[in-house]
Amino acid sequence: MNDRSHTEFLGSKYSENDLAPIAHRIRCDVLEMVATLGRGYLQQGLGATDLLSVLFFEELTLRVEDPGWEDRDRFVLSTAHNSAVFYATLAERGFFSKSELKKYCQDGAPYEVLVSERVGPPVEATCGSLGQGLSVAVGMALSARRKNKHLRVYVLMGDAEMQEGQVWEAAMAAASHALGNLCLIVDVNQMQAEGPMENVINVGPVSDKWKAFGWNTQTVDGHDFGAIRGAFAEARNTKDGPSVILAATTVGKGVGFLEGDRCHNMYVTEEIAAKARVVLNESGS
Amino acid sequence: MNELRRDDFTNAGDSTANFVEQSYSNALMETASRIPEVVCLGVDLSVPTESDKFRDTLPDRFFAVGMAEANAIGMASGMARMGDIPFVHSFGVFLTRRPYDQVAMQIAYPNVNVKMIGFLPGLTSNLGVSHQAIEDIALMRILPNLTVVEPAGPEQYRAAMNAIVDHQGPVYFRARRTVGEETTFQVPDDFRIGGSQVLRKGEDIVIFACGIMVQLAMQAAEKLSTQGIQASVVNVYSIKPIDSPTVCELSAKVGRVLTLENHTVIGGLGDAVSAELAEEGVSVKLKKMGLKDVFSEGASIDYLLKKYKLDVSSIVEEAKVVTA
Repeated sequence: MNDRSHTEFLGSKYSENDLAPIAHRIRCDVLEMVATLGRGYLQQGLGATDLLSVLFFEELTLRVEDPGWEDRDRFVLSTAHNSAVFYATLAERGFFSKSELKKYCQDGAPYEVLVSERVGPPVEATCGSLGQGLSVAVGMALSARRKNKHLRVYVLMGDAEMQEGQVWEAAMAAASHALGNLCLIVDVNQMQAEGPMENVINVGPVSDKWKAFGWNTQTVDGHDFGAIRGAFAEARNTKDGPSVILAATTVGKGVGFLEGDRCHNMYVTEEIAAKARVVLNESGS
Repeated sequence: MNELRRDDFTNAGDSTANFVEQSYSNALMETASRIPEVVCLGVDLSVPTESDKFRDTLPDRFFAVGMAEANAIGMASGMARMGDIPFVHSFGVFLTRRPYDQVAMQIAYPNVNVKMIGFLPGLTSNLGVSHQAIEDIALMRILPNLTVVEPAGPEQYRAAMNAIVDHQGPVYFRARRTVGEETTFQVPDDFRIGGSQVLRKGEDIVIFACGIMVQLAMQAAEKLSTQGIQASVVNVYSIKPIDSPTVCELSAKVGRVLTLENHTVIGGLGDAVSAELAEEGVSVKLKKMGLKDVFSEGASIDYLLKKYKLDVSSIVEEAKVVTA
């Protein structure tokens, strides 16, 4: 018998109004973490904050007091460089103290710039070499089903990762094995190392591709808590195959003058940080 | 209607293809019945990797991935993280060259319990450069956490299978289908990770060999014996970790060393032996036999062994040079 009391947080504990302050605090942490280093993945972090907030505060069934609980949902961060927002989310959720965030990218600390499983659960795999997370998740979902475990497997992947052929190998396998316990979230921020994706290589039409590969495909605004929540609910109700949520996000979200500036690994001068701090403080008050 | 028969991609040619002994398959099936966590990921090569019986008799533990090795390696990692013991069967080239970053990042780094079984070692395929794993030992050896083994023959498969499945961690098992060829020497059936077998003792030269080269080394040793040269022969079936005490002690005693591998001489058994000797300060006269930094070609095994000077008479000649 499965002993999961399905997500203690689902819907009831946090409402849309409650997630906003959570996301705001995460954004403030992301800014400080990256500003301390002087450069980093600030834009993507701000862009993915809302997705991670819904995931870690509503959707994923996890036990903060027992991160390695074997029946936990599995979450794979394929975009391992989007680490500041990930660590900030875990701290906000209570997996470790917020003071740990000061160790971000410090020598000897497990909080590396590319998320490593040195951190321990709920970090489930070490990605960073892009395009690999989905394959690991497919294996996890397959094993979970084979063992009759009711847990679900989630992957957050960047849209540029779709340039890696392995993603489509994994997409084929997930559909072929009808993995209804697998949910992929694509952070569609249209940015990659060299800049805007359309200046590098065109991966579209994205939705048609996933549909053609046999996935239950939804497109949502990646900053609309209600829409994200609804998409997760539909994914959960899709039992006969894998689901993908194409979440359109704006990099730099929440800091007006940074929004939409598709700068992959940007320098965050003290001047930029101070200005961003003012914007966040105003929006948070 | 004619019944079509599949080529099994061994280098045996059609005439002997009927005599495949299924030694590997038998070992796999025994392990599978002993350990329920053992699962297989198939990459469209189940028949030539002797995992078709597993596929057909344990279908709920066999997962087809298709020709997608990078994904198969990632999936194996995911399954291992959930407590399964995934076996990925393919040709050696497709588990090493092709998905190397995936092996490094999703198998070796997390030290997950995945067993990679690579067939068609070195020159044992007539399919040519695309299918001949001539640098797989080197590639897998240099990755942290990976164990690399190559049994000398089917006699060792059962013990090897037990050893690798009881070992908690990733293993690359260099395997070969046995196709009914005559062997002159029966390899003892024991196997231990980090172990080796001293098959023959002689005071003039010591030959360290792995895989198919063990049989050839034994034949060469017999010939050398008739010419007054007494050779020791060691089956170094565990390439990483290597049996350093045996390698160093025998080498120090004999002073003349020949290494034999069905593989490039760069990064394989010869280099593993050389490194142990150098680190332990054992000074010897040493020659490495194997592919000398060249790619091979599609041809019969006998032709290739001769061409690349890995046949018995070439071994005899090289041993004479070392002992001269």
